[in-house]
Amino acid sequence: MSIPTYKTETLKCWNKAKEIRNDFYTNYASAHEKGGLRWAGGAWSFGAIPAGLGNDIFPITGEPYGASIAFNKEFSLRCLEATEKKGYARDLCSYMRSYWGSIILDEYAFGGKFPKPDFMWQDHICCSHSKWYQVASELEGGIPTYSIDVAVGPYNSVSDSKIEYLVNQMHDGIEWLKKTTGREYNDDLLIEAVNNECRATALWAEICLLNMTVPTPIDEKSMYSLYVLGTLEKHSKVVADFYEELLDEVKYRVANGIGAIAHERCRLMSDTQPPWGFLSVFRYLEKFGAVSVGSLYTFGLIGVWEDKPDGTWGPRTTPKELGIDITTRDQALKILADWNLSKPEWQHFYSPHLKSDMMIKIAKQWKIDGVLLHYNRGCEGLSLGIAENRLALIEAGYPVMAFEGNMGDEREFDEAKTMGRIDSFMETLGMTII
Amino acid sequence: MIDKFVQWEKNRHQYAKDWKARTGGKVMGYFCTYVPEEILYAADILPVRILGSHEPHDVTEAHIFGMYCPFSRDCLAQGLKGRYDYLDGIMIAQSCLHIRQAYTSWTKHIPVDFEYYLPMPNNVQSPHATPYLTEEITQFRKALEKWIGRELTDENIQNGIDIMNENRALMHELYTYKKNDNPPVSGADTMEIAISQQMVDKREHTQALKELLAELSGGKSYSKNSGTRLMVLGSENDDIAFIKMVESVNGTVVADDHCIGTRYFWNNVKPNENLVESIATRYIERPACPSKDWIDRTRIPHILSMAKEFDVKGAIVIQQKFCDPHELDIPAITKALQANDIKTLFLEFDVTVPIGQFKIRVEAFLEMLQEDDLF
Amino acid sequence: MINVGIDVGAKNIKIVIVNGQEIIAKGKVLSGFETKETVMALYDQLLGEANVTKDQINLITSTGSGRKAVDFAQKSVTEVTAAAKGATTLYPNVHCVIDVGAEEGRSIRVDSNGKIVDFALNEKCAAGAGAFIESMARALEVSIEDFGMLSLQSDREIPMNAQCAVFAESEVVSLLHSKTDKKDIAKAVNDAVASRITSMTRKVGFENDIELIGGMAKNTGFINALKKGLDSEIIVPENAEYVTAFGAAIYND
Repeated sequence: MSIPTYKTETLKCWNKAKEIRNDFYTNYASAHEKGGLRWAGGAWSFGAIPAGLGNDIFPITGEPYGASIAFNKEFSLRCLEATEKKGYARDLCSYMRSYWGSIILDEYAFGGKFPKPDFMWQDHICCSHSKWYQVASELEGGIPTYSIDVAVGPYNSVSDSKIEYLVNQMHDGIEWLKKTTGREYNDDLLIEAVNNECRATALWAEICLLNMTVPTPIDEKSMYSLYVLGTLEKHSKVVADFYEELLDEVKYRVANGIGAIAHERCRLMSDTQPPWGFLSVFRYLEKFGAVSVGSLYTFGLIGVWEDKPDGTWGPRTTPKELGIDITTRDQALKILADWNLSKPEWQHFYSPHLKSDMMIKIAKQWKIDGVLLHYNRGCEGLSLGIAENRLALIEAGYPVMAFEGNMGDEREFDEAKTMGRIDSFMETLGMTII
Repeated sequence: MIDKFVQWEKNRHQYAKDWKARTGGKVMGYFCTYVPEEILYAADILPVRILGSHEPHDVTEAHIFGMYCPFSRDCLAQGLKGRYDYLDGIMIAQSCLHIRQAYTSWTKHIPVDFEYYLPMPNNVQSPHATPYLTEEITQFRKALEKWIGRELTDENIQNGIDIMNENRALMHELYTYKKNDNPPVSGADTMEIAISQQMVDKREHTQALKELLAELSGGKSYSKNSGTRLMVLGSENDDIAFIKMVESVNGTVVADDHCIGTRYFWNNVKPNENLVESIATRYIERPACPSKDWIDRTRIPHILSMAKEFDVKGAIVIQQKFCDPHELDIPAITKALQANDIKTLFLEFDVTVPIGQFKIRVEAFLEMLQEDDLF
Repeated sequence: MINVGIDVGAKNIKIVIVNGQEIIAKGKVLSGFETKETVMALYDQLLGEANVTKDQINLITSTGSGRKAVDFAQKSVTEVTAAAKGATTLYPNVHCVIDVGAEEGRSIRVDSNGKIVDFALNEKCAAGAGAFIESMARALEVSIEDFGMLSLQSDREIPMNAQCAVFAESEVVSLLHSKTDKKDIAKAVNDAVASRITSMTRKVGFENDIELIGGMAKNTGFINALKKGLDSEIIVPENAEYVTAFGAAIYND
């Protein structure tokens, strides 16, 4: 097999992404110094709603915080063990266990004591999501907690009554926020946040779309550091503006034939969160000329997509692009509910078959040669139905390598064995180390 | 009389096949006890809960990743092995993610005439859950009407409610006998009755319960056991062999908080002019599955009051391996029980349980409780 | 053309010397700590047995989890590819290769040309492999050789619950205390391991013919349980534990 060679270049906006992430964690910790408020909740929660309380409201999102802990193996193990000592099962969500551990140890992954939130604002996407903050509140000695149920079925069956159920909980949530914080609520700030969220998440989809190019302009390993901003504060202007800038840079890379890796000759996609402490797996793949160009996870957790008239997948048209001017709270909440229910990474909670269809669509549109499925013991939500996805992908003709691991508990990932399995898989694809 | 329930439970598939032959009706397999069976009875459909068989199997690894609960895999295995080949329809009411996979794999690999996913809300503590569920049940009713080719009248729905209410009320009556110093029905037999309740035509089950209750009110006892009074609680549990073992070493199971058992029948529909809404209210207000018990923990006061009511000395806390919802409740529940002087024994269940190893733990637990009695 | 295949497994090192596709020498030795030295010693011994000199060797290919220790091999290939190559060369109609060694079980699905379509390996757990049987045989105080034969004498079905080798051992002890016959326990253990393997085999999907290779192919009770679990005949080649080394030796043919 001939070995192609492409130009490579480091991403120019890499440092800016790092800066935004650092600011996020610092702002949260120091919010009280400026008279601001701190809230804790999931990356999927409707963060645009507390944004209506003012411009000095700073969140910490549990999943990316759990992933940050996983990067630091020493701290990670201490957190996990602290949670186990409290009697919680070892097979629960590893982000959640890490997060609780950080509270129990009273250590913040970014230095100092764990900054106690003023309130918790969550949504219930999997069995653990609301319970995560139920327990977190107990561990913190009681923190006001509100959670919104979003489990109304897949987007293809959305109806007025389903949207209404969400929106009614959101309206109650705003009253709850006012009562809990003693603050007035500003609908203009809400509307701005909703517009930002739609803009940021559609932009991320547009960026991912450019990875259809050969060579792929960014690899999945790099995408993890970029999409994470959306999991921190998808409704913020900073994140939406950054994605504009990133889009321009990725367009530039495409126009100039700049690849993510020098010798791309095998395009892969993955699934679910990776074992965060072991991103070296991706570097190892590069030795074969193999690159992971994305996944439903990196594309569709933050990216919001829609089917285009030609049958391909593309970024969902934002309300602004449709000429919709949001003017009322109710309208903003309805759009927010509808937008989030259409999130691709949300659909498989109802049926793995919907997810298989999307994965096969990605495999075709992004010209994928093989699939790495991370059977992730750390996340029951995103591993849900993964065995059925495997069957469907094989049936559709895609070679699949499944490996077990855990996004946030390195005790459940066998690095040597996984590398060995990659060797075997690469052999079956006819690849050798370059 | 108990034998009748045991026969039903042991021969569940034959029962359903006979029922079908006898009535010409349709049979609906269902996952999770949040399915509003009132609507199914209104449509003359027999609801049969899908349960596992407690036999090791090797057919589900291709379909469900091994980190999900053994119960969900055991359920799917029954379908893949063709044990439920008489079903006309299959449905689920949304609760935990684990059992949902058994349903979604079932719909693809064991296709039936009718399938339905009822998005039962999780935020049962929100005032908006009842109106939302009312609409979802209305949609379900319409789908069912389309399938059976006739409209369901309010009279039909009322009939469905009556069938379910009567049966649930009689189960309550049975449990009042379990408050006696010497409960006339053992925990294992109670479990047989509770399992059969989820798969036998409620009208027949009701008839049998009436006969049993008449015997009990006449002073008959089916149990010689007057051992240490225990409660079992936690994940789905239909492991009769386990309960028998507990009672063979002088424990007596007098109460439970399981979805086979009290959580299934604890409350009744209080009909109002909007019958569907009254059904929805019943399911929103029933003792919660842990996947729906947030942000307040309503299960704890419920379990504590039950423990008091049934004069429980100790609780066996059961968890299906990998059952996240219960794993998220067990530390808090255990703490609350212990704070109320009720000791606990935690056991992790799989498709089959190691009776020998568990027996040692149960015996030690009972010895500990009996020592408490001496001092 | 004389080639060599060296399979460095978790427990044993197997070496095969072939002339074309004919095995002219084969041998095995416990892996131990000094892998390279152990391999060299066995290799030298086999060269003598085959009556060939190092100069006559065309190509040495290593395989197995410890293959990287064999730094004098010119080629190396993973055990999945080598197993499939060896098994399908011996039996070209084979579509499913089950390889169960000391610490790992593998199921490999191959197409009619011997190309790998899909494969699965057991995860971080010994309950689907030979080491599990060894520890259970220890608990029963019978030799490994007797273990398979013993289990053949039983027709009872006792479900083994534990999936962890340590807990399973305590389950075996608890069965012994309840006076369960050793032969029934041996069968229960073989059934449990076979169930894990058949489960994995169903995951990759299988069609006939099925071939079992690896050290566990010596356990007749296990083979029986596997046949029953898959409801199929199973081909067990002579020298089943050398098939992967053989596959490595002929890999570049």
